[in-house]
Amino acid sequence: MMLTSKARLFATSWLMLVVLLITSGVPAAAQTSLDVERIQRATVLVMQTRIIGSSPIITCVGSGTIVSRDGLILTNAHHSLSGANCSGDTLIISLNIRPGEPPVARYQAEVVQANPGLDLALLRITRQVDGRLIDRASLALPFVEIGDSAGVGLDDTITVVGYPGIGNDPIVFERGTISGFAAEPSGGDRSWIKTSASITGTMSGGGAYNQNGLLIGIPTTAPLTPNPATGNCISVQDSNADGLINTNDVCIPTGGFINLLRPSAFVRPLLQAAQLDISISFPLERVISTTATIPTARPRFRYLGFSPSVNPAGMPTTIIRSLPTGSNSLYLFFDYENMTPETVYELRVNTNGIPNPNFSVSPVRWSGGSRGLWYVGSSGQPFPNGNYEFTLFIDGIAGDSARLVIGGGPDEGAAFSDIVFGLLDSAGNVTGTGFVLPTGNTASARFLYRNMTPGGSWAAIWYYEGQEVQRTDDGTVWAESDGASGTKTISIQSVNGLLPGSYRLELYIEGRLAAVSDFTLAGGQDGSFARIFNNTHFTTASTVQEALSAAPISSFSAGTSPIFAMFNWQLIGPGTLWRIEWSVDNQLFFSQTQPWSGAPTGSNFLMQIASPAGLPDGTYRLDLFVGQIQFDTAQFRVGIGQLPIDRFASAEGIALRGQVLNSVSRDGIQGVSVMLISEDYSVADFTRDWNQAQLIATATTDRNGRFEVNVPLQRGALYSIVLLAEGFLPITADGVEITDENHPDNSPIDITLELTPE
Amino acid sequence: MSTTIIEVGEAPVELTLRQKWSHYFVIIYAILAIIIGVNLRDSAVFATVPYSNPQVGITAFYPHRWMIDSSGDYVFRVRDMAQTGFKTAMQVNIIPVNSDMTTRNILETLILNRSQTDSTFRVLSQEPIQLADNTEATRMTSTFVASNEDPFLESIPTVVERMDVIAVQGGQAIIISFLSDALTFEQNYPKFEQFLNDVDF
Repeated sequence: MMLTSKARLFATSWLMLVVLLITSGVPAAAQTSLDVERIQRATVLVMQTRIIGSSPIITCVGSGTIVSRDGLILTNAHHSLSGANCSGDTLIISLNIRPGEPPVARYQAEVVQANPGLDLALLRITRQVDGRLIDRASLALPFVEIGDSAGVGLDDTITVVGYPGIGNDPIVFERGTISGFAAEPSGGDRSWIKTSASITGTMSGGGAYNQNGLLIGIPTTAPLTPNPATGNCISVQDSNADGLINTNDVCIPTGGFINLLRPSAFVRPLLQAAQLDISISFPLERVISTTATIPTARPRFRYLGFSPSVNPAGMPTTIIRSLPTGSNSLYLFFDYENMTPETVYELRVNTNGIPNPNFSVSPVRWSGGSRGLWYVGSSGQPFPNGNYEFTLFIDGIAGDSARLVIGGGPDEGAAFSDIVFGLLDSAGNVTGTGFVLPTGNTASARFLYRNMTPGGSWAAIWYYEGQEVQRTDDGTVWAESDGASGTKTISIQSVNGLLPGSYRLELYIEGRLAAVSDFTLAGGQDGSFARIFNNTHFTTASTVQEALSAAPISSFSAGTSPIFAMFNWQLIGPGTLWRIEWSVDNQLFFSQTQPWSGAPTGSNFLMQIASPAGLPDGTYRLDLFVGQIQFDTAQFRVGIGQLPIDRFASAEGIALRGQVLNSVSRDGIQGVSVMLISEDYSVADFTRDWNQAQLIATATTDRNGRFEVNVPLQRGALYSIVLLAEGFLPITADGVEITDENHPDNSPIDITLELTPE
Repeated sequence: MSTTIIEVGEAPVELTLRQKWSHYFVIIYAILAIIIGVNLRDSAVFATVPYSNPQVGITAFYPHRWMIDSSGDYVFRVRDMAQTGFKTAMQVNIIPVNSDMTTRNILETLILNRSQTDSTFRVLSQEPIQLADNTEATRMTSTFVASNEDPFLESIPTVVERMDVIAVQGGQAIIISFLSDALTFEQNYPKFEQFLNDVDF
């Protein structure tokens, strides 16, 4: 179609009209920065299904949130990954097409990144619901941006969004406040955000938003084993084809009410890896000498104790019997055994016999290893006086409980605290990194004591991998020479050398546990420090065998994939927890802690980092940790050494949508092309070249003449628009601008345009 | 009483030679105008824009005011954005082949890929053809159902007819495709025919 002079004249006359229409757009949610419509559209229902007979049967349901325009969905791992309670193999994604209506199944998705312990998963839309493949580049879905969960504080108002049922309910927005934070070793003091919002089980995996409309948390609860008798699941399909829907059919777990949000800070590494399409696999060579055992015995918690604070290694600073009035930090410590990532644990707290949701933790997946010392607690939150009872549940069954009185003055009794470990230097000082020591014949511990009574009994017991190996010989009676308060150093020794692995020191006063701490022995001695990993380097090759003999490379050409990473290790005991971290341009995208299962000493532990389209340009770094201590690091560059800029990464902006009408009949016109030209070009440029590279977005009107531009518009930018339809005079407009004056908030702009028949 | 109407008119006047020629010229001018108009329309409708890609060795002429895009997994694609409903499109793809591959293998690959991505994909016909430059090629006609990708709009799917012309040359297969709403396929086809005649690879 030619733009005749008449058409140009006509178009010019439309310029002011378009601007006028934009300025008079009706905000959908006036005067709020929470873009309700975008959040609604980005919130999806995730249904896990499997084929039974010839029918798809729903096995698990949860909520999710679209976090990228090409179809990445953030949700929980427990209803995405196939497991004992959710045994499906296909994920169906339903969208909220119209507000107030139930979601409609549109797509299939696959898990691209998951962390079962954190109960987070990122899905990617890969197929239409009928199974046809989707080119991700063709998707332009509404999405929300991840906010900074570290920036939220007590009593901040949040909005939790998700689906309250298993498919027949529209999205709900539950407003509430942040009532506290829960601490765990997996994420420190902000492992969980607690909220007063009323959240049902199937909203798990949805989103919690701050007042700026940014996603700051993921409501999370793990459903227990479905049991129709307890009402924790619902059967909605005749899965056994017996003509009845009853307790013999697949029961979809619905979970209970949720008071926890997993902070969005934990999402960023997963999201970064998914957006870069990077996969990491290891170990590629036969470094495994012991097979990782999956616990088969019943999981259990024991030795519950309380501490007012936690040291940087995640150990209790001391063990207390009471907490004074005005305390605002408390941690419950306990030993755990036989835990798996699918184990569900829960903490219920009663204050003076009344359930206290503020300090309870709703059922969540276990995020630790199989055995060790764990804590759950909170800081920065006042604890009212009272008698507290803490009861731990495993898979819905009550386990050990412990009581603590909060109130009164500080405990003036004898106490041990602040244990640190190291090697003794020539002056008798404990030196080293505190909790990871090199292997040798001796390991020492230094601790503080106060209010000790000479002659009182005390004991120090050392454990190796859970077995007692030594008691302090002179530890039965407190020596007068030590005084009431001070610092004491004790040691564990072995003439044959201490084996690498996990150790524990327990300190008792009058038979009561007064302090406890774990530490690790690993690596060779390098002064008072451990040397565990070394010679970390990178190369590229077409096979694993070639990689082992290839020369180290530190700078790779653009698009290289795969790249192999190798390192040597020494004296690591089986089961020792170690951590791998990968980052690109200083942004973490992979972090995994796992028990060591290889030979104690070896070389060329081989990892592969790969991407189907080649690794994106950037500077990649590999860090190796034991505990909180970094023991080796190395980096390489790909291409220019800097990540490319994703111009579609931001969801911020103003949505443009509208309707195109026939100016004569007033009917909507189907199939009109709406083309939004980028700032760098004008209508004249575009209608000269007709090149799609000059466009920001295109849209086509539906049967009602409605269209939606799927790229958010930015304030202050000058856009040009072209509307084309055969049989109608075109509309073009240059210099369309959204300003604070003509559109003060971020609500969508809804315009009506009229095309005149030729 | 009866009334008789007597019509009195002027006696017929014979046209002068000048008048006669005037009439003849008007008719001639009208015919000429129609011919020029048709030609102008044809030149407008069938006006083309040159395309050249030396990297892959292709030159072509595509319809004027069709939007060109070379960002996808094709060499280039042009679409008639003024078309209401499904945008009539022509695109050129190049895929590598080896000496063991036959045209049949390429067709099978295309069919397998499209059955994964196109709704209700169905092959209508396959036949050998000869291009304007006597290059041997294969033509495959198929249909599928296309719908607006935006899940939030009420769009009625369109039945699309697709014609692929596959020619193997110099270690690569050139696939020239034409996609149109099945209802307007015949009407739009002449543009593709012209495109096919002009393309050089």
